[in-house]
Amino acid sequence: MFRNQSLEDCPLDEDEDAFQTLGEEDEDINQFNDDTFGAGAIDDDWQEAHERLAELEDKPATARELEDGAVSDEMELLGHHEENLAERLSKLVIENELEDPAIMQAVQTQPPMQQSGGLNSSIWDGSAVLRRFRGPLLTQEMPSVSVLEYAMLQKPPQGQEDERDLSERALPRRSSSPIIGSPPVRAVPIGTPPKQATMPNFIQQILCPKPVHIRAPMQQRYPSPYGERMSPNQLCNVSNSSLLGHPFPPSVTPVFTHLQRAQLLGGAQAGRMSPSQFARVSGLVGSPLTSMNPKLLQGRVGQMMAPASGFRAFFGAPPPPAPPSSQQQHPPCPGSHLQNLRPHPQMFRPDTTHLHPQHRRLLHQRQQQNRNQHRSLNGSAGDRAGHRSSHQEQLRKDPYANLMLQREKDWVSKIQMMQLQSTDPYLDDFYYQNYFQKLEKVSAAEEMHGDGPKKERTKLITPQVAKLEHAYKPVQFEGSLGKLTVSSVNNPRKMIDAVVTSRSEDDETKEKQVRDKRRQTLVTIEKTYSLLLDVEDYERRYLLSLEGERPALMEERKQKICDMYDNLRGKTPGQERPSDDHFVQIMCIRKGKRMVARILPFLSTEQAADILMATARNLPFLIKKDAQDEFGLSLLYLVLSRGEELQNSSAAMELMQDNQWTELMSMATRELLRIPEAALAKPVSTPSNLLSLFSRYVDQQKLNVLETKLQ
Amino acid sequence: QCFIFSITVNANLTSLPEKHLVLLRDGRTLIGYLRSIDQFANLVLHQTVERIHVGKKYGDIPRGIFVVRGENVVLLGEIDLEKESDTPLQQVSIEEILEEQRVEQQAKQESEKLKVQALKERGLSIPRADTLDEY
Repeated sequence: MFRNQSLEDCPLDEDEDAFQTLGEEDEDINQFNDDTFGAGAIDDDWQEAHERLAELEDKPATARELEDGAVSDEMELLGHHEENLAERLSKLVIENELEDPAIMQAVQTQPPMQQSGGLNSSIWDGSAVLRRFRGPLLTQEMPSVSVLEYAMLQKPPQGQEDERDLSERALPRRSSSPIIGSPPVRAVPIGTPPKQATMPNFIQQILCPKPVHIRAPMQQRYPSPYGERMSPNQLCNVSNSSLLGHPFPPSVTPVFTHLQRAQLLGGAQAGRMSPSQFARVSGLVGSPLTSMNPKLLQGRVGQMMAPASGFRAFFGAPPPPAPPSSQQQHPPCPGSHLQNLRPHPQMFRPDTTHLHPQHRRLLHQRQQQNRNQHRSLNGSAGDRAGHRSSHQEQLRKDPYANLMLQREKDWVSKIQMMQLQSTDPYLDDFYYQNYFQKLEKVSAAEEMHGDGPKKERTKLITPQVAKLEHAYKPVQFEGSLGKLTVSSVNNPRKMIDAVVTSRSEDDETKEKQVRDKRRQTLVTIEKTYSLLLDVEDYERRYLLSLEGERPALMEERKQKICDMYDNLRGKTPGQERPSDDHFVQIMCIRKGKRMVARILPFLSTEQAADILMATARNLPFLIKKDAQDEFGLSLLYLVLSRGEELQNSSAAMELMQDNQWTELMSMATRELLRIPEAALAKPVSTPSNLLSLFSRYVDQQKLNVLETKLQ
Repeated sequence: QCFIFSITVNANLTSLPEKHLVLLRDGRTLIGYLRSIDQFANLVLHQTVERIHVGKKYGDIPRGIFVVRGENVVLLGEIDLEKESDTPLQQVSIEEILEEQRVEQQAKQESEKLKVQALKERGLSIPRADTLDEY
C-alpha cells in the first residue's frame, strides 16, 4: 500500500519525537509571546482530536448528514478546544494572570461565543483566540458576536470539515518563541486567512461516497500538530509520494487537494515556500491532471503571488460542484468556483448592520452575482462548453481577477472591523461622531423645512463592545520569585525620570516675564477649554447615566462652570474685580475669544453680563486689535451676537435698561465707524443679529454706514 | 491606525479589474491592479507603473509586480477608469520626466541650502530630519 510506503519514506516519525520533546520543554518555559504572527493560540491536542475523529469514523452515518449534524459536532469540538485551552492556561500561570485585557481577553468571554450558531470554528479561533496572545499589539476587546457572524457569510459546512479542520490545524510549529500564558504555537499563525469557508461544501458532495474512508489515511500521514516543524520539502514529499501511488479517481482529488493546500499553507507560513517547491509540486500534480486542465495549471506554475494562489492550481483539478454523476466535467476557472459553491441563502442579514452601508450593499451585490453564476453553472450542467466559455470570458477580461478568495477578503475585513471596535466611540472617534451629529442636525433641519427626501447618510457603524474593567495584575511565573511587569498598553511604565525644575523669579528679564505671562494665559485658556469640553459633554453623559448618578453629574457640571468663570476673570476674587487684565489677555488670543463665545451660553446671566461688560469696557482696544484680523473680528462679532441673544432671553430684560450696556454699544459702534472701511477685515461670518443690535443704539445714518461695513 | 478598505476588498474580485493608486512614504506613486491585500495593508500590485510627477507633466515607468510592505503605504485609492483620461496633466517620456525630476530636486536642494544658511546666520539650526517621511 502506498500508504505504508509513504509513512516509512517520510522522515516524519523520527522528527516527531524530537519535536514533541522540544515542544514539551517549551511548554514549561514559554510564557511570553512576542511573535506577532505566530501567536496561534488554538490548542490542538492532536491525540485527543485524533481519538475523537476515530470515533467519528465509526459512525459513517454522520458522513451523510451534511447540514445539521456537523454544526453541533463542530461546536463540540470547539468547546473541547476551548476547555483544553482554559486548562492549559490555568496550568501555566499562577493567578488569573494576564488580566491585562490587552494581553488576555478572550477567555472569559469565550464560552458564550461558542453557542452562536454558524460560527466557523477556525476563523473564530484564528482571530479571536490569536488575539488573546498577541500582547499589546492588538488592543481591542473581544469581538462582538455580530462581527463574527458577519464574517461567516454562510453556515459553515460540517462533519468532514471538522476532521479536515483539525488536520489542517495540525500544522508544523512556526517558531519556538515564548508565549504569555498560552500553549506553544500549534495552529495557523494569524497571518493566514481561514481555510474552510467554501471548501467543505463541494468536498462534501464529492466525498459523499466514502468520505471518511478517504480521510483516514490522510490523517495519519499528517504531521503532529504539537511542536512539529516540518519543512515544506517534507510535506511535499509526503503528498507527492501519495500522489504517485494513487490511481487518481476524481473523487480523491479534493482530498489530496486539500492536504496539499494545507501543507502549502503551512509551508508558506513558515515563509519557506520557494518557487521551486511550488513548481515541483504543481508539476507532479500536473502529470495526472494535465489532461484535465492544462491551461490553468500552466498558468499557475509561473506565479508565486500569495499562498492563496498556490493551492488554487489544485483547485483547478477537482471535480465540479455538480453531483458525482457529472464528475467528468472539470470546473471552470481557479478561484471562482469556490465562490459559486456557496450554499447559503443570501437574505438580508441583520448581523451585518454594523457594516458600512455601502459595504453591505456591495457585499450583497457580489453574493448575488456569485449566486447567479452558480445557478447558471448548475443549470448548464450538461454543457461543458458552456461552462468553460462563461468563465473563459471572465478569464480573458482579467485572468488575475479572483486571486483573493472571497473568504480571504472577508477575513481581512473582519480583522479591520475588529480593530474598529471600541467601548466608547465618543472617546476613540470623537471628531467623526461630532461631525456626523452635525450633519444629522443639518439634514434634520432641512427635513423640517420639507426639503424632500433626506439624503442617505452613510454612516459607518462599528461594532460596540461593552466596557470591561480589569484590574491589572502583573504576570507571574511559576516557581519564580517576585513579579515581572510587562509594559503594555493598559499598564504603561514610566521609562524616564523627568524632573521639573522651576526657575527663580530673579533671573527673569522683562522680556521673559512678558513671554511667561502670555504663556500663562495660554495655559489658562487650555485648562478652561478642557472644562468647557467636559461641560459640553455632560448632556450626553446625562442621557447615558443612571438615575441615581444624575444629580451628581449636575453638581459636577455646575462646579466646572464656576471654575471656568473663575478662570476667565482671574482667580483672585476681590470684592470688585479690579482688573479686567486677565480677561483681556484671554480675549487677545484667538482661541480665547472662541472659548469665551462658547462659554457664554453656559454662564448664568449675571456672570454672562459680567463677561460682556468686561468685553465692552475693552471693546475699543479689542476692536483695534482685531481690525486687521478677520478671524478675530468675526469672533468678536460672535461674542457680541451671543450677548445679543442673551439680552433677548427673558431673564435679561434689566440689562436692556442698563445704561452701561448702551454706553458699551455706542462705544463699539463708534469704534467701528472710526475704522476706515478698507482697513476693516472681512470677517469669516457675520452674525445676523448684529445689525439689529446696532440698530437699537445708533441713528439711521450711522446704521447705514455700519451696514456697509459689515458687508 | 486602522483603515477601511472593505469596499476595495470586495471590489477587487470583479472581472473588470480596477486600477489602484498607491502613495508610498518615500513619495513614490505606484499605479497598478491591486491583487491581494492583508490586514497590514501589504499590497500586491500587478502591472505596476511608477508615475513621476513634475509640475504638470508626468512619466510612467513600468515596473511589473510589486509587493509593498504595509507600513510604507500612505494611502491607497481606486482609479476611476473613465476619469483617468481627462486629466490636465501631460504625459511625457521617461527620459524627459527623469530629467525634469532631477532639475526639480536640484532646485529644491539649492533653496534648502540657502535656508539653512540663513537660519544659521541668525543662530537657529534646524536638525536634519533624515528619518522623517519627507519628499
